[in-house]
Amino acid sequence: MTFDWSVIWTHRQALLEGAALTVGLTVLTMLLAVPGGIMLALMRLSSNRLLQSASLGFVEFFRNLPLILVIYWVFYVMPMAVEFQLSPLVTALVALVLNVSAYNAETFRAGINSIRKGQLEAALAMGMSRRQAMFKVVIPQAGRRILPVIASTWVSLFKDTSLVSVIAVSELAYTAMQIRAQTFRVLEMLTAMAVLYWLMGYPQAKLVDWIHRKYGVKE
Amino acid sequence: MNNDITRAPARKNADQPPVLVYEEVRKLYGDFVALDGVSLQVHKGEVMCLIGPSGSGKSTLLRCTNALETINGGRVLIDGVPLPAQESAVRKVRQRMGMVFQSFELFPHKSALDNVAMGPITVLGMRESEAKARAMALLEKVGLSAKAGNFPANLSGGQQQRVAIARALAMEPEVMLFDEPTSALDPETVGEVLSVMQKLAQEGMTMIVVTHEMGFARRVADWVVVFESGAIIEQGPPAQIFEHPTVERTRDFLGHLGWNG
Amino acid sequence: MEFDFSPIADNWRFFASGLGVTVALSLISAVTSILAGLAIALLRLYGPGWLRPLLVFYIDSMRAIPVLVVLVWMYFAFPLLVGFTFAPFWAAVIALTLHIAAYAAEVIRAGIESIRPGQTRAALALGMSRAQLLRKVLLPQATIRMLPAFGSILTIAIKDTAIATVIAVPELMHRAETVAGQSYRPVEVFTAVMVAYFAILFPVTRGIDRLYHRVAHLGRS
Repeated sequence: MTFDWSVIWTHRQALLEGAALTVGLTVLTMLLAVPGGIMLALMRLSSNRLLQSASLGFVEFFRNLPLILVIYWVFYVMPMAVEFQLSPLVTALVALVLNVSAYNAETFRAGINSIRKGQLEAALAMGMSRRQAMFKVVIPQAGRRILPVIASTWVSLFKDTSLVSVIAVSELAYTAMQIRAQTFRVLEMLTAMAVLYWLMGYPQAKLVDWIHRKYGVKE
Repeated sequence: MNNDITRAPARKNADQPPVLVYEEVRKLYGDFVALDGVSLQVHKGEVMCLIGPSGSGKSTLLRCTNALETINGGRVLIDGVPLPAQESAVRKVRQRMGMVFQSFELFPHKSALDNVAMGPITVLGMRESEAKARAMALLEKVGLSAKAGNFPANLSGGQQQRVAIARALAMEPEVMLFDEPTSALDPETVGEVLSVMQKLAQEGMTMIVVTHEMGFARRVADWVVVFESGAIIEQGPPAQIFEHPTVERTRDFLGHLGWNG
Repeated sequence: MEFDFSPIADNWRFFASGLGVTVALSLISAVTSILAGLAIALLRLYGPGWLRPLLVFYIDSMRAIPVLVVLVWMYFAFPLLVGFTFAPFWAAVIALTLHIAAYAAEVIRAGIESIRPGQTRAALALGMSRAQLLRKVLLPQATIRMLPAFGSILTIAIKDTAIATVIAVPELMHRAETVAGQSYRPVEVFTAVMVAYFAILFPVTRGIDRLYHRVAHLGRS
């Protein structure tokens, strides 16, 4: 069995483009899923029963399904819901944003709830509105607790982008596996794929550790 | 001191209408009756101490006063006007009262000065420079001008509580509500907080204080109210409550605390 | 827009066998991951010094590489290195264990380290050996604290089994793809399978929450 590792070099352009799309998907998803998560959390924390249930339902739904299934489902359902054909990339983005928003919603909700009730009361007792109390007292404190969790979610998202390869989005996993199919260089390409993910993911994981250390809860 | 206790004691500013009136106030937590039809009046400039066993309803009444808890029956009247139901109107009422909590509740992400200035800036819309000047003056008043830049994590419990008092005073309230202000403090620092409170009382502030510090109540209070199981069992001037209580259960409570007069 | 759910009813045995594979793969992988994770955590905490950086490297690497990549590599590439092939199911077990054990190891390490050092001192003062300390004082308390995390390991395992479809493991997701392709009714099929996965996962997450609240007081020191 001979191995030809030069295929990796030959196809470096495509691989790098795939890696770039992986990163781009991660960034774009998070940019949408953070506001999405905040909105869902505020809905859950509001006094409106309907909003509360809607948010709870949404979050429980997406947290209890495999992402790969959600990706397939959105892929087949979206063309029915919107009359025109959407690219696999947009479909992938929708599925990822829905999924990550649900996780973020829990993160934000738990973070806000972790702030002692007395802090909110002290702010209200001064005459602040609920909105002022949340934005000036509760949320700044909750932010410290929420950031490390969002950082971990980020890294999970980065890995989960590999799943959109099943609907032929040309991120790193799809690109590497396509090259494998074309060149029959199975071990070389799959190893290259693993190494490329490792090169991008390892520093991110270490960064997350640093964030956890720096913003760890000091009570 | 008047030894004739059969004469009804004269209350401070009794000729003026009371600042706060509680009419048959009821508060329920599920099935538990926290307040069972409490009626009480607070006069201007009066220092009222609420004492009694834990869970007797004293803190609950205080928290109903500034609508941190909503009542299930009766009325709370401020200057003759019942507490409004709407959030925006309630906020206006809260601005006229200051509250000091057992757990201080200073905002940990802000310095002492910023904590005190926060009310005027955020709620009253005051200019930052003006608010900070007022805050500095108040910190001076409670003896902590040197710690203005410190964050709560770098202040002792007693210092934090004094900053909390300054923070409440920054809103220039008509009434100050104290919810067991010294219960969470080391014995050494209790005194510094009580002396700030005593100074406030001497300046004529209307104060309602839930406390276990019987010495403070004896020395500083104008009126003492004894709670048990959500009801008032006795009220009167400190001389009566601590030396000649008329109700058996008051005697039991004080005796239990080791209070020998 | 009409929906036709008959392909699901017609193929219910097919789906049921897929569900069986999902359950088997999930449970086996969860158990092996926790056992492997336990071994790794203990080696990391109490093992020889030279091993520690290697274990940390392994753990951190699994945080960087997607499970899809590990699955595909284990099934397609690994055989080329060693000369023999695995059945998809067992390749999936190995890949999932490799990936999840890293997470389990961290969970267990955190659980053990979260117990107050006073507990260790008290046990040693009584004359217990380190092994007894571990077995009788630390692990029991740590296990209770880690129950929610073990629960989440099970949910992760169940969700990751769906990814095993890419290496043709005949679990539920793979069955869904097959039937959807044959019947041209992807929306109905995937919706039904969604309901199935939700029906499995939701009780697991809820059940772990309940269990934790029941026994939480036993783990506090």
